[in-house]
Amino acid sequence: MGLREYISDISEAVVTIAKGMRITWKYGVDPKEETTIFYPEERMVMPERTRGFLFNDVARCIVCNMCVKQCPIDCITLESIKGADKKNVLTSYKIDMGRCMHCGLCVEICPPKSLVHTDGYEGSSHTREELIVEFVEDDLATIKARIAAHAAELAKAAKAAEAAGKAPAAPANPAGGEKK
Amino acid sequence: MEPVAATVYPNYDSVGRAILEAFPIIDFLPVWLVALVIMVVVAACAIVFILVFEGVGSLVLRKLAGDIQSRVGPNRVGPYGCIQFLADGVKLILKEDLKPAACDRVLFRLAPYLAFVGSCAGLVVIPFAVGMIAADLDIGIYYVMAVSSLVSIGILLGGWASNNKWSLVGAMRGAAQIVSFEIPVAMSIIPVILVAGSLSTQEIVRSQGGLFGIFNWNLFHNPFLFFSFFVYLTAAQAETCQTPFDLPECESELVQGFMTEYSGIRFGYFFLGEFGELFVVCALATAGYLGGWHIPFLDAGNLGWFWGNLLSLGVFLTKTFTLVLVSMWLRWTLPRTRVDQLMRMCWKYLVPLTFFNLLGVSLWLLIFDGKGIPAMIAALFG
Repeated sequence: MGLREYISDISEAVVTIAKGMRITWKYGVDPKEETTIFYPEERMVMPERTRGFLFNDVARCIVCNMCVKQCPIDCITLESIKGADKKNVLTSYKIDMGRCMHCGLCVEICPPKSLVHTDGYEGSSHTREELIVEFVEDDLATIKARIAAHAAELAKAAKAAEAAGKAPAAPANPAGGEKK
Repeated sequence: MEPVAATVYPNYDSVGRAILEAFPIIDFLPVWLVALVIMVVVAACAIVFILVFEGVGSLVLRKLAGDIQSRVGPNRVGPYGCIQFLADGVKLILKEDLKPAACDRVLFRLAPYLAFVGSCAGLVVIPFAVGMIAADLDIGIYYVMAVSSLVSIGILLGGWASNNKWSLVGAMRGAAQIVSFEIPVAMSIIPVILVAGSLSTQEIVRSQGGLFGIFNWNLFHNPFLFFSFFVYLTAAQAETCQTPFDLPECESELVQGFMTEYSGIRFGYFFLGEFGELFVVCALATAGYLGGWHIPFLDAGNLGWFWGNLLSLGVFLTKTFTLVLVSMWLRWTLPRTRVDQLMRMCWKYLVPLTFFNLLGVSLWLLIFDGKGIPAMIAALFG
């Protein structure tokens, strides 16, 4: 090791230390550099297309079963019964959030766009069962009662239509007449 | 031959005698007892000071780390986390004091105290102000160098007694590092001793007075001393095992090195010792190179007892804390060196440089009759 090299080693050490200290000084004196978000008190604004937890708007769901078929890991299960107007009515729509991998295929396929990704990401729970989320709030009896009421309403409407004479048949629900 | 004790500045015996004369009510007490009480009070003041420094220093260290790393740092205990250190202290005291089953019990218990005492004993000769020094020993610098090597014994004992491979490797590294870096530290403070012509820290500070209290600092005395100051800071950073050179306790490879098996207040002692050492080396750098307690544009000696001591204490602490901050800043800037790099830096770079500096300063003093550059410039203007 020659003297020239020796001195250049020392000067390199001094220069690099000075360079490093200038960088840390810049970060140290500028309070705006802080990137911490105080999580429980404030939350990040998630980007628009975040694939967070799934949410199904059961009122708009047409029970087409597409999401169940599409799901690569079969984490969606649904049960339905025939409704008054022969459309299917959901009695249960469950998504196992513990298994869902947020691939978004079910959201893409959903015809009425009722199944969507939310920006939720806080889903910790104590048991695995809590991670299976049920979207239909009412129990089976309530749903059946509602269908019966709907059927009765439809029947009444059909009767009224019949009583109104041979009025042009209501195209709205030809099925309602058949039900009678 | 004159008795050496006569040169020690606060002569506790005479202070005790003065107090006995001032308060005749306690006249029946022997002088040695009063002197002992005063000594204990002074020691308590020093310990309380260093404990507060360590508490606040650890908080500042973490806050600074947060700032530099774009984080916030401690922010839960008190406004801006300002009493975090109290919580830490309570935690350290209340935590279970674990001892490994196969440790050497006596040495395991002894080690933290040695490390703590070794680092804080240096406070005795720190010249805090015009008249504030626990004992102005006429071998002050020598004393600091001697007691601070007690730390390496503490580290070695702790690592050995833990009966743990990590601890032992950390302890061996620590001992090797501290012993090696004692040499550049001592050699880079010797030029100051040459200029002052005394080993007493108070005498070294006094020799830097005059010229507005700034320009007669040893730092500006001559180019060799200027360079020597930075060599001292680098070597001191390594001797106190601060981060670029914290090989004895590097977390990533040795968990905590010699502190692996320590918990609770025993760990706390090691931790406090580290901070105490940081303060002592920074205070020595201030006293040796930055004019100590000399107040800029004022003569501390002429201000009267109270204001002189208060102002010079403030100036001394300001300078020291600035150095501490620089040390912490360096700590969060540089990554850790390897062992071979560390030793290479010590033996191949710092030691020869300090010898070169020593030679340069000696020649300068010989040629220019002990005058520094600022003094010569001042002489030009009369």
